[in-house]
Amino acid sequence: MTDLTGGNPLLPNIATIASIRRETGDVKTFQVVFDDPLAVQSFAHKPGQVALISVFGEGEATISITSSPTVKGFLEFSIKKVGRLTSVLHEIEAGAKVAVRGPYGNGFPLDEMKGKNLLFVGGGIGLAPLRSLIDYVLAEENRSDYGNVEILYGARSMADICFKEDLFNKWTACKDTRVYTTIDREEPEWSGHVGFVPAYLEEIKPVSNNKVAITCGPPVMIKFILMSLQRLGFTEERIITTLEMKMKCGIGKCGRCNIGSKYVCLDGPVFTLKQLKELPPEF
Amino acid sequence: MQYKVLEKDKISGFLDYLASKHNLMAPVSEDESFSQFKRVYQASEINLNYTNTVIPPKNYFFPPAENLFSFSAENGGIEIKESRQAENMVIFGLRPCDINGMSMLDPVFNGNFPDSYYGPKRERTILIGLSCQEVMPTCFCKSFGTDPTDGSGADLMLTGLENCFLVEILTDKGAGLLENAGGFFSDESVDKAISEKKLLRDKLAGAFLREPDLSGVKEILDKNFEHPYWEELAAKCIGCGICTFVCPTCHCFNMIDTSRPDATGSRYRCHDSCMFPGFTKMAGGHNPRPTRVERVRNRFMHKLKYHLDRYNLDGCSGCGRCIAKCPVNIDISQIITHIREVVKDD
Ligand SMILES: Cc1cc2nc3c(=O)[nH]c(=O)nc-3n(C[C@H](O)[C@H](O)[C@H](O)COP(=O)(O)OP(=O)(O)OC[C@H]3O[C@@H](n4cnc5c(N)ncnc54)[C@H](O)[C@@H]3O)c2cc1C
Ligand code: SF4
Ligand code: SF4
Ligand code: FES
Repeated sequence: MTDLTGGNPLLPNIATIASIRRETGDVKTFQVVFDDPLAVQSFAHKPGQVALISVFGEGEATISITSSPTVKGFLEFSIKKVGRLTSVLHEIEAGAKVAVRGPYGNGFPLDEMKGKNLLFVGGGIGLAPLRSLIDYVLAEENRSDYGNVEILYGARSMADICFKEDLFNKWTACKDTRVYTTIDREEPEWSGHVGFVPAYLEEIKPVSNNKVAITCGPPVMIKFILMSLQRLGFTEERIITTLEMKMKCGIGKCGRCNIGSKYVCLDGPVFTLKQLKELPPEF
Repeated sequence: MQYKVLEKDKISGFLDYLASKHNLMAPVSEDESFSQFKRVYQASEINLNYTNTVIPPKNYFFPPAENLFSFSAENGGIEIKESRQAENMVIFGLRPCDINGMSMLDPVFNGNFPDSYYGPKRERTILIGLSCQEVMPTCFCKSFGTDPTDGSGADLMLTGLENCFLVEILTDKGAGLLENAGGFFSDESVDKAISEKKLLRDKLAGAFLREPDLSGVKEILDKNFEHPYWEELAAKCIGCGICTFVCPTCHCFNMIDTSRPDATGSRYRCHDSCMFPGFTKMAGGHNPRPTRVERVRNRFMHKLKYHLDRYNLDGCSGCGRCIAKCPVNIDISQIITHIREVVKDD
């Protein structure tokens, strides 16, 4: 990023909320535009990276950048209302000022995934970081670098499904792309699959050949998905997930997000299962 | 290295000179048990015989609470105003463990994403070390590769000898300071002072009550993340966090906003401690380090392994502050020794 903050990494750039989309009862997607046109141009993120969003007087929260870097002019963040700051954000209306610093974290290994088929497995708001990568891969300029795309997504109920437009229209319409959606329990209006994500994954039985699996979701789901993926023949290097730890600085100084000698804010949030197994079990 | 000699009767003159030309911080004894670095205005305020200060000198570069910027909402927009300040400063009288502690802290703030608050303050400060005259029962800097007369990391190092101070000029910054204060120093009997310093060093080296052997400790920790020893330790800890607040190398912080009804406010960062349960607790309640066992383990792992893994530098300088201040006598020097023994017993 160019030097708009006088080189001070703790100073955020002022931005305006351009629009807000409700995804579910407690998740909204915020489209954010930097006030300074230079910042718009120079904010260069990789899918899987995060940013810290400020509401002045309230503080910051670490949020995955859910829009793809191939989409220019704005950033999107999908935020679940869980605490103080996220509740304030949920009250805010379009036009309000926030601030953003980042991008931070390692992002997905785009080059290593080249030439591979991709399987995405997401649950709940865990699709947010994956969405950035899916849109990146499906973007015209990158599509030929990657093989088939399968997207498996699960939510508790119909009302909890995030990114409906992407799941049911946009991605489904892309070539060599399959989207599977499931909800936990039967609902009268739902004609799709019913059942938990790990069980659905084992039903679909995606072949692991030349394929990378990328998963993100609630910790319990991830735990079972990781086991299923290994049963399906995915090696530890071909299973990628993202971790969440409490963060403050985002840049390896506040000491908050360490798992052993690694910092999630610098060395993560993206890890392969192989890397995860080398970390102490403190996440 | 270049050496000079400062006669004993000239030290107050030199310190008065420093105080008149610079923002001078130096050890001051507030009472028998409490000394700290403080802004001084004349030599008579300074205690040259102090043992370790209670508050580590890191606070000058990484203060307990620091305003990062202030903000105000005006005509629908938002203004941010940075509150960066870095004045020229001389810190006189640093003990070798504290100088070493600072070198251990530097890569955290000056590495990736260089910190705009710490770096400039550090840059604009001249560090003058002062050799110890005695070894306290809690000291164990020797285990971490310094000794009570070691000036590495400082700009100038003074060692009090029988009739004079030996002055070691360690950096250009140090040389610059002396150039302007030339009148106090001489080149006479430098050799004699150097050999006297060697004697002092040898004497102090033999005076340690604690000399935990660090060899192989990281390797033991690499393999013993899960060990009942951590539970034993944690059973004593009351989670007060003092050990982290007095430590010259601890760097964890929190960031908080304050605001007023008129939509102005500030963002601060302040010292925080991994010994507190809320340190890693996330929205929704999940806590990766839910009990004291994980928290105590994290602290000692950080000091003896994680910092080494990341920066190839020890995370403890052996200053002994946490040993002196822990209300339940948890003792990092003992841990270093114990960990070797418990693992041997397994
Ligand atoms: C790598 C990463 C990616 C994330 N991506 C998203 C996302 O795309 N969408 C989304 O809704 N949430 C995401 N989160 C979680 C989000 O950061 C927290 O839920 C949010 O910070 C909670 O803030 P709060 O002030 O509302 O909650 P409170 O409970 O009021 O939080 C208090 C403080 O703790 C910190 N904190 C609490 N929980 C977390 C947490 N889980 N992670 C980090 N800091 C925390 C906050 O910074 C805040 O300062 C992500 C977290 C990480 C680490
Ligand atoms: S861990 Fe204890 S002995 Fe080591 S530097 Fe910190 S306060 Fe000093
Ligand atoms: S000072 Fe002692 S009791 Fe307090 S948190 Fe540190 S180890 Fe625990
Ligand atoms: S968020 Fe501060 S060290 Fe990772």
